[in-house]
Amino acid sequence: MKVVYNWLKDFVDVTASPDELASRLALSGTNIGGVENGPHGAVIEAEVSSNRPDCLSHYGIAREVGAIYKLPLKHVSPKPAESTAKASDAVKVEIQSPDLCGRFTARVIRGVKIQPSPKWLKDKLEASGVASISNVVDVSNYVMLELGHPLHTYDYDNVRDHKIVVRRAKQNEKIRTLDGIERQVDSNICMITDGDGSSAVGIGGIMGGAETEISFSTKNVLIECAWFEPVAVRRAARFLKLHTEASTRFGRGADPEMAELASHRAAELILQLAGGELLSGVVDVYPGKRGPKKIRVTRAEILRVMGADVPDKEVEASLSALGFAPIRIDQNRGAEGSLLAAWECAQPSWRAEVEREIDLIEEIARIYGLDKFPPRLPAARQGAARLPHYEAETRLRDRLIGLGYREILTIPHVAEDRDALFRPEGVAPARLSNPLSEEANVLRSNGLVTMAAALEWNLNHGQRNARLFEIGRHYHLKGNTSVETRVLTIGTTGEAREKGLYDAAREFSFADLKGDLDSIGALAGALEWRDGGPDWLHATKRGQVLLGPNAIGAAGQLARRVADKFKFRQDVFLAELELDPLCSAIRIVKDARHYEPLPRFPAVERDFSLLLADGTHFSGVTKIVRALGIAEITSIEATDFFRGKNVPAGKYSLLVRITFQSREATLTDAQISDYSGKIIAALERNLGAQLRAQ
Amino acid sequence: MYLATMPNVENPTEKSLAALAINDPPAIEELFANEKARFDKQLAAKNPDEVNFNLMKNAWLGRKAGVLTLITENWLKPAPPSLKPAVGQSLNQLKRHIEESLEAFRVAAEKASQEGATSRDRVDLSLPGVLRPVGSHHLIRQVFQEIEDIFFSIGFSVVEGPEIETPYYNFEALNIPEFHPVRDDMDTFYIDLPKGASTPLLLRTHTSPMQIRTMEKQKPPVRVIVPGKVYRRDNPDATHSFAFHQIEGLAVDTDITFCDFTGTIEYFVKQFFGPSVKTRFRPSYFPFTEPSVEFDVSCPFCGGTGSSNGATCSKCKGAAWIELFGAGMVDPAVYGFVNYDARKVSGFAFGIGIDRLAMLKYGIDDIQVFFQNDVRFLRQFP
Ligand SMILES: [Zn+2]
Repeated sequence: MKVVYNWLKDFVDVTASPDELASRLALSGTNIGGVENGPHGAVIEAEVSSNRPDCLSHYGIAREVGAIYKLPLKHVSPKPAESTAKASDAVKVEIQSPDLCGRFTARVIRGVKIQPSPKWLKDKLEASGVASISNVVDVSNYVMLELGHPLHTYDYDNVRDHKIVVRRAKQNEKIRTLDGIERQVDSNICMITDGDGSSAVGIGGIMGGAETEISFSTKNVLIECAWFEPVAVRRAARFLKLHTEASTRFGRGADPEMAELASHRAAELILQLAGGELLSGVVDVYPGKRGPKKIRVTRAEILRVMGADVPDKEVEASLSALGFAPIRIDQNRGAEGSLLAAWECAQPSWRAEVEREIDLIEEIARIYGLDKFPPRLPAARQGAARLPHYEAETRLRDRLIGLGYREILTIPHVAEDRDALFRPEGVAPARLSNPLSEEANVLRSNGLVTMAAALEWNLNHGQRNARLFEIGRHYHLKGNTSVETRVLTIGTTGEAREKGLYDAAREFSFADLKGDLDSIGALAGALEWRDGGPDWLHATKRGQVLLGPNAIGAAGQLARRVADKFKFRQDVFLAELELDPLCSAIRIVKDARHYEPLPRFPAVERDFSLLLADGTHFSGVTKIVRALGIAEITSIEATDFFRGKNVPAGKYSLLVRITFQSREATLTDAQISDYSGKIIAALERNLGAQLRAQ
Repeated sequence: MYLATMPNVENPTEKSLAALAINDPPAIEELFANEKARFDKQLAAKNPDEVNFNLMKNAWLGRKAGVLTLITENWLKPAPPSLKPAVGQSLNQLKRHIEESLEAFRVAAEKASQEGATSRDRVDLSLPGVLRPVGSHHLIRQVFQEIEDIFFSIGFSVVEGPEIETPYYNFEALNIPEFHPVRDDMDTFYIDLPKGASTPLLLRTHTSPMQIRTMEKQKPPVRVIVPGKVYRRDNPDATHSFAFHQIEGLAVDTDITFCDFTGTIEYFVKQFFGPSVKTRFRPSYFPFTEPSVEFDVSCPFCGGTGSSNGATCSKCKGAAWIELFGAGMVDPAVYGFVNYDARKVSGFAFGIGIDRLAMLKYGIDDIQVFFQNDVRFLRQFP
């Protein structure tokens, strides 16, 4: 709403400069977009919040100014000269849908001369950003900007039978509105019709029809000044995608009492600018007249909500200026500052949203000044708690960062076809019914869709080395409900070690990914790995990740088929793990930690160079060795691995280092030889392993 | 001098005192003085370096054939009892002198060796060391953490909630009925549900639904903050993203007032931006708070003057104030949805936009960089 500074002076003798006024308005609840000095003086851009339709007018803003500066508001009292002929003989009004239209006033002016508006009117409209059309149309806009009440003027002679019927729209009813567009309405919309009510001349509270529009040949004018039900108007405007100055005001709640005054004012101005004869009286159908509404406000409640007092005279001054007419009603009426003080207020017709004590307290506080309530920090009553997995997640995050991973955050909206690449079979994705684009029409059902996109972004921007992780959610539907699962995703590409001054480069490999995951897994006890995994991973470089007996995710190299969709020309490694089980395990493992006394006797290492058949896994070796139950074995490690020279086809060589240590004594050569013999025998027997010369 | 001037004279330390015909203390003193002079002369003639140090140390202090060993063996041990004390004392003095001189020589040698080292041996400090890869937290996460820590320190617990919500929690229970004008400002994504689904699902447009979910579960006192992602159906540009981050705050108790509310917010802002920022509360409107406010801080970049270095401040556009977020006292209507007695409890709520705060604090002019995850961006905030 553009507030023309000089226009305000019609209603309040403000002396503050426009800038000063703007900042005071801002601090009392009228948001200010800026102040501009134009050819017609200063214009303040007021961003009026949706609960204050009364401020969508100069009169309403002037009321605020009066309250702020304690200046009296000059009332509007138009006195148009009326002829003896009665309006009620010239026009009939019938409201068939009082739930949509609470009041309809009609006036008639005969013999007007439609012509361009005078300069003063054009200037005011121009300053307000409204185009001048003709004197009569301009008057309706002017009155709306002045008093906040939208009006509509009809060419009286085109209103059939000079009768207005306000009714609910019929199914599939159509109307051509003022802007020349034919619109289809629905049955919740209020229509202004004429004659027998069969054809529409306007959409109530939103826009008039083209048929009865004022033209330069119009002689007689019908002035509509009505009141339409706000929710119905908002609904209609949204349905029609037609938001007008009128729909904004009626949609937020216009003042039904203002309808008559605004009509008077419009008649006065039309007579002044277009001449003619105003028929006497108003045809006023007012089924929605509201009874008076009393609201009480007490000092006790002001103190309870605001935490500091407001003096009696400030309470009374602010409420009076805003039209609430406060009256002290408590027993201690004479005593200023009484803790028992209570005021009874009347709800003004322009403030329908003020219904409760808290609403009045807000009015008092904003006019008194929010800065007058001294800030203080309240004492905490109880200990604060972090998120349940905060500590575990922090440990996880720190470990990942220590391993060189950078955290990313992604938007879960992805393209359906991309999501499908990673989506587990049988999972119903959470599709959006109103996506912004096809590129973002479904919420990711796997965290790696957006991880792959982040790697894609980096590769496309010349960053070929990236090691990323994200802690986020993936989504799917289960019937009619949604499921959100917290996941850790990991994505890497490029070099595990960049070429530097001292080292050669080395590309990231599956072993790097597995090592990093095992590092994380160590926080949770240990991860188990099992063959297999989703088919978006490379068939020979992937694994399922388990925590105890439960699979919590998968890791591996992105399958070529999927990598091609992203146009990846280098290997990409991905992992997704469910976060909650991981964090639970981290917490349990952390709580279970205890001290192991350091061994007092030396450890002995023995290397076993084994020749194994392809397909025999290291885990098979450890299983066999462990099964021997030699308590002195403290670790079994694979320390070298090769195929080729001196290794027969179908076999591979694995160097296994076993460490022995006793808590009771230094182990003897004889003991070690005994253990070694048992180990070799067991491996030969169970795995067909051969011991190579060492 | 002794050896130099008398090259043919044999080394006196190889002989006994008797053989040298020394039989009174003054003669002993002279004998030792000669040895001291010989040592000093030798040491002075040598460049201080490690080789010479070892040479001298061996020659004079060597256990098998060092000069002092010889003196001990040849002079002290066979000396008659009348001369022994004098020999012993002089020997000790000589020993101390030699040790001290050699220590000084070694320090000089080390210094010379460092100074004299060739540039080939010296490390080039301008070359990088071996850099192991390090990771980093996302900037948004860092800001979340900072804000969580501040509120945690004044008794706010942290809770999280679903991103896919029902209209009830996202709107209705927050006093935003259908067709409320505020819904027009919160363009909402809806989930496509199977035909016949009774409750629509949407992506939460703010973290406020957790106000309701928290109060449903818990009786006052309540003090929580809710970090999380929120979604609005806005076309993306430099200042809009259809996903962004918020922290909701809620405090409800039997005695929370507007003063407690402004005090809490002020505490947060001074912790976050520094103690010198000023705060301002402007009346505003939200359906779920009353009184509602917009909260401004004096621009921390120009010190609240509106200009820096003579030009209009680019951060606050000359306004001297920056609008941070909306907040207010919880509207009593909201308590009706969670079975709290609005006559007995009161409280406040706020919703902080994290992305905007981070952009402001770090001078980021495009919100999209948060979600592109370019490693060159990620590296800037280690
Ligand atoms: Zn500034």
